[in-house]
Amino acid sequence: MIVFITLIVLLMFKPGGEIVIKEQWLRPSAKKMTTALYFTIENETDEPDTLYSVKSYISDKIEIHETYSSGDMMGMREIGLIVIGAGEEVKLEPGGKHVMVMKLKRDINIDDNVKFELFFNNAGLIKISAKAIFN
Amino acid sequence: MIVNKFFFLVAFIVLTAAALFVSCKEKLPLNINLANRKYTFYNQDSVKVNFPEVTFGNVTVVGFIYVNCPDICPMTTHNMNLTEQRLKSEQVGDVKFVSITFDPGRDYPSVLKKYGQIRELDFNTWIFLWGDKNNTKALLNRLDVTAIPTDSSISDKGELTYNMMHTDRISLIDKDGKLKKNYRGSKVNLDELYNDIKNLRD
Repeated sequence: MIVFITLIVLLMFKPGGEIVIKEQWLRPSAKKMTTALYFTIENETDEPDTLYSVKSYISDKIEIHETYSSGDMMGMREIGLIVIGAGEEVKLEPGGKHVMVMKLKRDINIDDNVKFELFFNNAGLIKISAKAIFN
Repeated sequence: MIVNKFFFLVAFIVLTAAALFVSCKEKLPLNINLANRKYTFYNQDSVKVNFPEVTFGNVTVVGFIYVNCPDICPMTTHNMNLTEQRLKSEQVGDVKFVSITFDPGRDYPSVLKKYGQIRELDFNTWIFLWGDKNNTKALLNRLDVTAIPTDSSISDKGELTYNMMHTDRISLIDKDGKLKKNYRGSKVNLDELYNDIKNLRD
């Protein structure tokens, strides 16, 4: 009986997957300038989660942005956070949502790897390394 | 009789070729002469140049950028770079690439040079242009390109930060300095741009 109840409890509280970050990359850029970080977020959990902050040694000014268009004009605006629904995927990609990394502390050259810390409401801290490529 | 058939065949081929030639040329919808006024700029080495004279004799692909743009302008530059790589791989010469900043308050020639170096661009065929506000504005107006600072803020250290809302543009200019066609810079169809360059060059 105890074993049966334990199994039921374990099933009730089984981990519902995790937040997976994949396909991360950023563009080469020069010291003091700006670049953009892109990646795909997979939410394999049963709850929505929210990316609300990104940090890195490469910059003290990192914001979550999106590109928007109006006619043939294009601009960017800060959106602050990205919500990823349960079981859903959000792509940060050129011309769309991206992490804007400003006032770089050093050059980012082609093939460099840069480490970032992504902060989620539920998943907490997820560390990634992104490679600099032309795109 | 055989001579007549041969004559009609040759005439058909010649007329078809002529029609194709004319139709290719007509795909370039603009014919705005930029060479009737001098626009003074400085290149990435701070050498004074006039536009469009600086690329006379070449078909010129012009992109409009600001260096602190993280998303749209790099896509424009990348599309231009892909086009240049394709032209080089197929040994198509007499084509120049020009990036003009619409943020002269920050994108000085040395900044533009670094932007090109970090992207491994070839300064023999790619020119970056910085102009004072008046020259930049005059050329942008002529080309119907708009750029407006947005989201400005001043940091604790007193540093001004801003983004820009701007026209997403690549322009194609012929060997004589005439604007022939405009494209969406970040979303340009690369085959279309490549074919237009080749048509204009030939």
